[in-house]
Amino acid sequence: MTSLGTPIQGVTLYSFTRAFHARQYDLDGLIRKVAAEGFGPGLEVIGFSSLRGFPDRVDDTFVGKFRDLVAEVGLVPTSLAVNVDTGIRRDRLMNHDELVEYMRKQIEVAARLGFPIARVQISLTPDAMESLLPVAEKYGVTLALEVHADQHGAHERVLALRDRYEKLDSPLLGFTADWGATVTGFAPSLLEAYRRRGASEELLRQVVELWNGFYAEGPPNTQKVHGERFGAFIGLAARNGRPDLGIDFGINGTGLFGPAPLDTWLEIMPWVRHVHGKFFGIDENGEEPSVPVRDLVRQLVENGYSGAISSEYEGWHWNNWQDPFEIIRGEQAIQRSAAADAGSAMITDAAEARRILNNHLAQPVRG
Amino acid sequence: MIADRIIEQGTLTTEGGRTAVEVRIPWYRALPGSCIAGAALTVDGVAAPEDTLRWTMNNRTFRFEELVDETGEWWFPLDSAVLSGDVPVQDDQAEHEVRVDLKLYIPYIITDHGVLHIEEHDTKTMKVAQR
Repeated sequence: MTSLGTPIQGVTLYSFTRAFHARQYDLDGLIRKVAAEGFGPGLEVIGFSSLRGFPDRVDDTFVGKFRDLVAEVGLVPTSLAVNVDTGIRRDRLMNHDELVEYMRKQIEVAARLGFPIARVQISLTPDAMESLLPVAEKYGVTLALEVHADQHGAHERVLALRDRYEKLDSPLLGFTADWGATVTGFAPSLLEAYRRRGASEELLRQVVELWNGFYAEGPPNTQKVHGERFGAFIGLAARNGRPDLGIDFGINGTGLFGPAPLDTWLEIMPWVRHVHGKFFGIDENGEEPSVPVRDLVRQLVENGYSGAISSEYEGWHWNNWQDPFEIIRGEQAIQRSAAADAGSAMITDAAEARRILNNHLAQPVRG
Repeated sequence: MIADRIIEQGTLTTEGGRTAVEVRIPWYRALPGSCIAGAALTVDGVAAPEDTLRWTMNNRTFRFEELVDETGEWWFPLDSAVLSGDVPVQDDQAEHEVRVDLKLYIPYIITDHGVLHIEEHDTKTMKVAQR
């Protein structure tokens, strides 16, 4: 029998995009705020969001200051989110060698900053992941490919990656499980945002009904089905006299709220190295109304998961009327309560988190 | 995304028929020049001609056709860029309606129709400062 997992509490700075973008906090101030609020000990950062000049111009002075700050405030670097910018050129997609070098530079910065994981993205094929394995080995960084709506744990592209991981048998290749793949409802806070943009109750009822229908059918397993669902949201908006909302409905309805069943995570659970605790809001009862946070934490605990869960609040896209810090506080309380209900606990002590994360991952980062 | 912050309030300036405004990225992460695919600047309903538009970031000024190959210079989320063009603005006591349209490529999202692009716009009202 698998022993119960002890997930590590944490947060990604992505959750505070609106406050950072508004210059309410600089990077230093935001990290201090996260620590002071007790949202750690896990700290995830997106390289291209938070680090000026990433990856080419991150110098040793910055690296030293970052590491000193994180140590001073008692946080534990978990994952540096890096991007697979295949489409950075206008004339063609990146070729294979360019891609490997583009990723190598970002993974090197992850190691220098002390992040044991680099979050990579779904556009990396099994062949690309195999090509990046020597890079992962060189820097001692685990590559955790993000599984995110509209994909899910049992999607054919994800299963192909899993099968290659199994063949390569390296502990440095795994997944980041993003809870946005297994959502159970259209986020009420987004409906409220549409309401504030003048959408009628009747239109919003139909949006919810459409999404619920897709949830009942199950997740899209092909790009064709995904495209049809996107189109259905656009058609719905047009029929209701609000074509301006159609693309927004489509992007959010298919790209943020993935309708996969929870058990799809079991297909890849042994390879889950990192988790994005994606969520969209907390209701008046203190619960997340559209992401089954309690069930997701229970599933991780019962399957022995002892990596980090980065709380990833994404309601900031539309919710400019509530405080993101309060919302994160609410979600992390649910996570701790759920872990306790499952007979375990979330790890909130930095030293313990460091020890558990080192055991969870294959080798220490060589920065 | 963060389209409501594209135009920085109070940054409209004009000099000799050229007008400029500071703009913020409506996206959560930095993008290189090659992904800034186009912009329009309109003041009081008058659009600056496309060939007069210039984009200034990190103290470098570009024509939009020069940005196409620019993968070394990046627009960071905390920084203002400056969009300028030939559009006369008179009367420095009046309020002017400023509109900026932006087209951005999102380089890590490759769809069946190519690299994802987003089109965002913002309109704000402000006075102009003579430079």
